[in-house]
Amino acid sequence: MSQQAETVAAEQSNGQTESLSPLRLSLRALRRHRMAMHGFRILVVLYVFTIFADFFAPYHYDDQRRDHSYHPPLRPHFYDDEGNFSFRPFVYGSSYTFNDYYQRIYTQDRSKKYYLRFFARGQKYRLLGLLPTNVRLFGVDSPGRLYLLGADHVGRDVLSRVIYGSRVSMTVGLLGTSVSLIIGLLIGGISGYYGGTIDLLIQRLCELIMLIPGLYLLMILYSTLPAGLSSVQVYFGVVFILAFIGWAGLARVIRGMVLSIAKQDFVTAAVAAGLPGWRIIVRHVLPSTLSYAIVAASLSIPAYILGESALSLIGMGIQDPVPSWGNMLQKAVNISELAQHPWILWPGFFIFVAVMAFNFVGDGLRDAFDPGSVAGQQA
Amino acid sequence: MWTVKLREDVQWSDGTPFTADDVVFTYMDVIYNKDITTSTRDIITVDGKQWQVTKVDDYTVRFELPVKCAIFDLLIASEIIPKHKYEPMIRAGTFDSAMGADSKPEDIVGTGPFMLASYETGQKVVLRRNPLYWKRDAEGNRLPYLDEIVYLVVQDLNADFLRFRNGETDFTNIRGEDFPILKPLEREGNFKIYQLGPAYGSQFVVFNMNPGKSPEGKPYVTPYKRLWFSDVRFRQAVAYAIDRQTIIDSVMNGLGHPQYGPGTVAMGYFYNPDIKTYDYDLEKGRSLLRDMGLIDRNDDGVLEDAEGRKVEFTLMTNAENNQRTAIAEIVRKDLERLGMKANLRAIEFNALVTKLDKTFDWEVILLGLTGGPEPHWGANVWNSSGRIHMWYPYQKSPATPWEARIDEIFTQGFQELDRAKRKKLYGEWQAIIAEQQPYVYTAVTERLTALRNKFGNVFPAPIGGVLHNSEEIFLLEP
Amino acid sequence: MTSYIIRRILIALLMLLAASMLGYGFMKLAPGDYFDRLKQDSRVSQEYIEQERVKYRLDSPVYVQYLAWLSRFVQGDFGYSFEYKRPVAQLIGDRLINTLILNIAAITLTWLVAIPLGVYAAVHQYRPSDKVLSSISFMGMSLPHFFLALLLLYIFSGELQWLPAGGLKSVDYDELTTSGKLADLAAHLAIPVVVLVVGALAGLQRIMRGNMLDVLRQQYVVTARAKGLSEHRVVYKHALRNAVNPLITIFGYQFASLFSGAALLEIITSYPGLGFLLFNAVRSKDEFLVMGGFMMGALMLLIGNLLADVLLAVVDPRISYS
Repeated sequence: MSQQAETVAAEQSNGQTESLSPLRLSLRALRRHRMAMHGFRILVVLYVFTIFADFFAPYHYDDQRRDHSYHPPLRPHFYDDEGNFSFRPFVYGSSYTFNDYYQRIYTQDRSKKYYLRFFARGQKYRLLGLLPTNVRLFGVDSPGRLYLLGADHVGRDVLSRVIYGSRVSMTVGLLGTSVSLIIGLLIGGISGYYGGTIDLLIQRLCELIMLIPGLYLLMILYSTLPAGLSSVQVYFGVVFILAFIGWAGLARVIRGMVLSIAKQDFVTAAVAAGLPGWRIIVRHVLPSTLSYAIVAASLSIPAYILGESALSLIGMGIQDPVPSWGNMLQKAVNISELAQHPWILWPGFFIFVAVMAFNFVGDGLRDAFDPGSVAGQQA
Repeated sequence: MWTVKLREDVQWSDGTPFTADDVVFTYMDVIYNKDITTSTRDIITVDGKQWQVTKVDDYTVRFELPVKCAIFDLLIASEIIPKHKYEPMIRAGTFDSAMGADSKPEDIVGTGPFMLASYETGQKVVLRRNPLYWKRDAEGNRLPYLDEIVYLVVQDLNADFLRFRNGETDFTNIRGEDFPILKPLEREGNFKIYQLGPAYGSQFVVFNMNPGKSPEGKPYVTPYKRLWFSDVRFRQAVAYAIDRQTIIDSVMNGLGHPQYGPGTVAMGYFYNPDIKTYDYDLEKGRSLLRDMGLIDRNDDGVLEDAEGRKVEFTLMTNAENNQRTAIAEIVRKDLERLGMKANLRAIEFNALVTKLDKTFDWEVILLGLTGGPEPHWGANVWNSSGRIHMWYPYQKSPATPWEARIDEIFTQGFQELDRAKRKKLYGEWQAIIAEQQPYVYTAVTERLTALRNKFGNVFPAPIGGVLHNSEEIFLLEP
Repeated sequence: MTSYIIRRILIALLMLLAASMLGYGFMKLAPGDYFDRLKQDSRVSQEYIEQERVKYRLDSPVYVQYLAWLSRFVQGDFGYSFEYKRPVAQLIGDRLINTLILNIAAITLTWLVAIPLGVYAAVHQYRPSDKVLSSISFMGMSLPHFFLALLLLYIFSGELQWLPAGGLKSVDYDELTTSGKLADLAAHLAIPVVVLVVGALAGLQRIMRGNMLDVLRQQYVVTARAKGLSEHRVVYKHALRNAVNPLITIFGYQFASLFSGAALLEIITSYPGLGFLLFNAVRSKDEFLVMGGFMMGALMLLIGNLLADVLLAVVDPRISYS
């Protein structure tokens, strides 16, 4: 439906002229942006995985089967050797030996079938951190194992670890960006509103921080983290390190916007009314920047995901056994391992999908909120 | 007192004869020169006393050592540098920058089979045949046979491996995981992969037994944990719990060897195979810990002592080494199965070394050391006063009877000129370490060298690689 | 304008100074120094380590070391690398050329492809081809460098063996003819350049498209069409030129990136560039090398920003600096 038709409809229903708020217009434009909606749906799926990781993953991330080192991806069967069909798919047990070339040769033991079950009983966990349960979406009867995406060098299921890994990779971006956003809004707001020397100094500070190459700063900051931290603490350490670098860019963008907003009438009115500076900034100026801020933030989330992945990849981020899509790729950098077991590259693909989804959504948001852009108008 | 006679037919690559003057110069004016930094000086100075190196005649040198030295022949394998080239520089004070990476190849003068032809920093080094090399073959021809050797700088093991596979290089060391890809190509690529037994070096878990305190009065290690670590049963239990076969199969692609003591077959003559071994046996490990009073008292999977304190600690390793972090993860899981909760933390190598050497605030570390055929090179590790005596370095006097015995062994071993007696001494050292497990050894990789079949007289070896006899190697007729 | 430039240069110098302090401070934050790693080598004597540390003043307080470094730096002495034992300036110079080659090739290719694609997308706005192009651009932008590099290396060097395994030159480079050398360089550059181009293409293409669209809506375009000019002339002769102008400033920003190497990419493809050099330097605390590389990068960034702002003023008469 076109904009006009909507407005007309609004007129007709309650007899008053009603125009839609900018926010509603933007949301509508967003919904029309197909790629952004695709991205949004992908993100929803990924975040569902993140929240209910224990349920969706057939195995815990630390569940090793050392006799299944680098097990190739396993397809459940419907037909057995005699050609009997079974409604319930099943897998066989497998084991490997090294041949003369020290290649792992997996053989399946066709004598015993392990059936695939939905809502199977797996390792215990707490649903949403509260309810103890052991029901997982699917699994096979023990001691059979299901490796839909193959296994890593100690027999941990790649699919399970990718799902658990989303807990790190998907939240690092949100958390880090939120922290950066808050800092960036405050500092950018102060800088743009007060102007003058404060603005000059703050802007130079931002530029200073942006001068230091990101990866190296990340590495240096990581090595200053004390050694006895638990994995959760390391995670937050990584988040703060990323945010420490990221706020400067956001602050600059916010400041630019605040500069133009500060000249507007409603701000002059507030000053005339005698409101204190910080209140004007927080209550009046910053909310106007919010939409742009959100766009800038969502466009920078990919950088955080990539930053954490790069750090973990070089061993300076999330530690084993906690999976992150980055640290799962550590072995993939070895070309011989990659050539023989290409399925260890799956986490990279997920990074790609997540980053792409965020880029689509960010792009859609930008088009939707920017009144000057063509995409925001009626197609 | 040693009298060394020099060959009389050796020339420097610029034609000047090699004489006793060069040897005396190298020792007295270079190595013992206070203004020049060199590591060799410390190694050949005993109790602060230097060697006296004097010229007897043009081709005879006398070495007077303050103590008897069993490894004299190894120690004087230090490079000798030409007096005529470097004495002027020492006088002018420019010695330190003499052989920098911006020197001209012609200025680097030596007596070996090959000379520096050219180099591209960060990329490659080209050596060419030294026509003045002294060695001749049985028929009187001057060696070496080869005209040129090119070394390519290794930036990355991946690239190294691929370069060999694509035919760009003639030999390289490969990793266990490269073997399955390369081995089937042996005929097509005209090369052979040599499996040379265990590589040098070791990877081990070390526990901090240092009873000292920081300047602020804080003990380096929590006292009750230190008591656990200092108990040999604790360490032996860990040794029984490490699944070495998994480490070999999963991290080294099946091409590795379990290790229980400081030496392996790679050590050669001094290797003692009759030491205590620790086959994978969780139950044995648990029973040792039970004897110590460490039992899982509340069924949470973690052992506690009588006061209910959990056996939990931080396991650190260095982040740069992927193989080591993979081993660390397996060890962590092994410890979990034993009942110990290890929190894995990979940190920068520099940070690790600072902890080991300066701040001593660590609990358990997975680390490695390089090795060699001569046990004395490890003196800094095994002497209780040594700086790499990781579990408790710089001791003023040995903390335990077995560490005292090891100090004795190393002092005697250095001076014992009878080879068989030396072997017995160092054999005892290995047995003690295997029993006491201050380092809980894990596994060591198989040394793999891939070499094209176009050379004769090649004998790849764990030490010295392929080029240890470079002067004898020649190209076969196609 | 000149006074503006002069003011900017002065500020830039101050910024460089501040950056050097910040950078040096951060670098020293991490525990240990280069010579610590030597301690683990059993055959290196304690005396040697101590001597070297005193020689480089590593036992003095941090600000003393900083001032020592600074005084030498402003005189042009960038110090020696501990690891390579060569002057820092030389090391960086060598690797800089390699990084420049890579980045120039990547940027040239990016622009050559992005501009036409952007124009095409703008002219065919909202048609399927535009959407497809848009999606492909996004995919390119979202692919992590290291992932794409691994994938390409595996496919083209590992499996197909069409491309060499990394590095910059083959072993027998010196024996090749000139055209042979060029071909060899091109083969070695292929994977890193493709990775860089794929990443940068999307952004540039979309900006070009956006600019084109903005320009095409302008009054003078409508006028030109009304005057009866062919669509072809309207788009390519008038609109394009105006749409490209703002992009010039982007070039200013890209100037800085010419001199920076993507470390992970270089590591995976063994490309002997600056990124690899500095990454290892940071890891091993090769101080003078780290500071040399960092200062150079900072300088380039500041120059690039200034260039971008100046070009913007030159290109857009509405903007003027006082």
